[in-house]
Amino acid sequence: MNPLIFTTILMTVLLGTMIVMMSSHWLMIWIGFEMNLLAIIPILMKKYNPRTMEASTKYFLTQATASMLLMMAIIINLMHSGQWTITKVFNPTASIIMTSALAMKLGLTPFHFWVPEVTQGISLTSGLILLTWQKLAPMSILYQISPSINLNILLTMAVLSILVGGWGGLNQTQLRKIMAYSSIAHMGWMTAVLVYSPTLTMLNMLIYIMMTLTMFMLFIQSSSTTTLSLSHTWNKTPLTTTLILITLLSMGGLPPLSGFMPKWMIIQELTKNSSIILPTLMAIMALLNLYFYMRLTYSTSLTMFPSTNNMKMKWQFETKQITLLPPLIVMSSLLLPLTPMLSILD
Amino acid sequence: MMTYIVFILSVIFVVSFVGFSSKPSPIYGGLVLIVSGGVGCGIIMNFGGSFLGLMVFLIYLGGMLVVFGYTTAMATEQYPEVWVSNTTVMGVFLLGLLMEVMLVLYVLKSEEVGVVFKFSGVGDWAIYDTGDSGVFSEGIMGVAALYSYGAWVVIVTGWSLFVGVLVILEVTRGD
Repeated sequence: MNPLIFTTILMTVLLGTMIVMMSSHWLMIWIGFEMNLLAIIPILMKKYNPRTMEASTKYFLTQATASMLLMMAIIINLMHSGQWTITKVFNPTASIIMTSALAMKLGLTPFHFWVPEVTQGISLTSGLILLTWQKLAPMSILYQISPSINLNILLTMAVLSILVGGWGGLNQTQLRKIMAYSSIAHMGWMTAVLVYSPTLTMLNMLIYIMMTLTMFMLFIQSSSTTTLSLSHTWNKTPLTTTLILITLLSMGGLPPLSGFMPKWMIIQELTKNSSIILPTLMAIMALLNLYFYMRLTYSTSLTMFPSTNNMKMKWQFETKQITLLPPLIVMSSLLLPLTPMLSILD
Repeated sequence: MMTYIVFILSVIFVVSFVGFSSKPSPIYGGLVLIVSGGVGCGIIMNFGGSFLGLMVFLIYLGGMLVVFGYTTAMATEQYPEVWVSNTTVMGVFLLGLLMEVMLVLYVLKSEEVGVVFKFSGVGDWAIYDTGDSGVFSEGIMGVAALYSYGAWVVIVTGWSLFVGVLVILEVTRGD
């Protein structure tokens, strides 16, 4: 793509999300969502083949439907409250429709079906943008309407998302689909605590984005999109096997790594609000996630995966230099002692 | 009949939406879009938005739909699908019509209708007061507000349209 056009379109994606996050008028928020959607389509279609076209079409259709639902909820809210500001959604119908629309945008169950298919059809960098940056805008709107969200609907969607994200990722060997199901599960964790303490949602979002960025960059460095090619990392760059191990265990939520911090805080907040069964179920279902992360670490770092002899002597032209990778790895594994600092997110 | 003109126009609106949602060939979809655009313009005009209705006719029907008609005429096939040619299309169309007829009967017969919104029978659709704001019509005041207080909206929408064209060119360009 022409670099100037690519820069313009990328800046428009950023501008769309910024408009969503900084507006107080519902119409501007909707315009921001549409601008974001429109501008990310050519980024998803950077490589021009039928798979990316199909993935972009699926993404566009689901997100456009979600925008239409959001617009209907905005108009119902306008009808019943007579004003366009975003502070509180007065009508329960509007609140439910809005929650469903934002859940479609995030990829929560039962609207999760597009996430693995779209993530699989696009390149690794586009998948990175899709799974991290695109989650910011809907989550910021959920944060802002969190006092008026129907708890039953949101908790149902959250718990089902954690279940689907864990269960669905079990049979996957393609790394992008694994990351997609991981994203569904993490979105479930984030929205489960939204009504109780939105600060923890933001904390989880922050840690999740750091960990997902790290994982994707590790994949980009070894240009691996399947478990098989990831298992050859010991041959290309042996150091990254350890880094993949640490980051994957952090994503699974194991202490003492920083992925444990959001899960710990969320479970603590939920039990403080006298719901015991729910965080127990959530923690148990997070084990499904941990299983397929462990499977990746088993084949990548812990064992030398069986391969033919000529695959054991790989050479590549020059290693990609990803400047942001070391700080990201450090941040996605060593942040746990900084837990008391999460009060700055208030 | 004139008291219920908005209700009648809304029914025709929904029927034409059913007409193109049952997916005939795009040319016939464009035909019912013209009808629905004209009827929608009538609904807006009944609420006092004469400027906005004129915008619908000029920009939507006279600009965008004309271009749509040209492009579908270029991409048309030898035997385009009408509503009665394919059993599926006719079935969906008749089903939509049936649901609309049942909804109209529900509105006409019962005292209060509460599907998503609650409104009490057909009387709620009749216009009594158009929200007079003095000498000027609301549509023109809206345009004036758009270009004064709403300058940011103009910038954002202008940029969105510009990027829309860029995106379309980029997507259809191929490799």
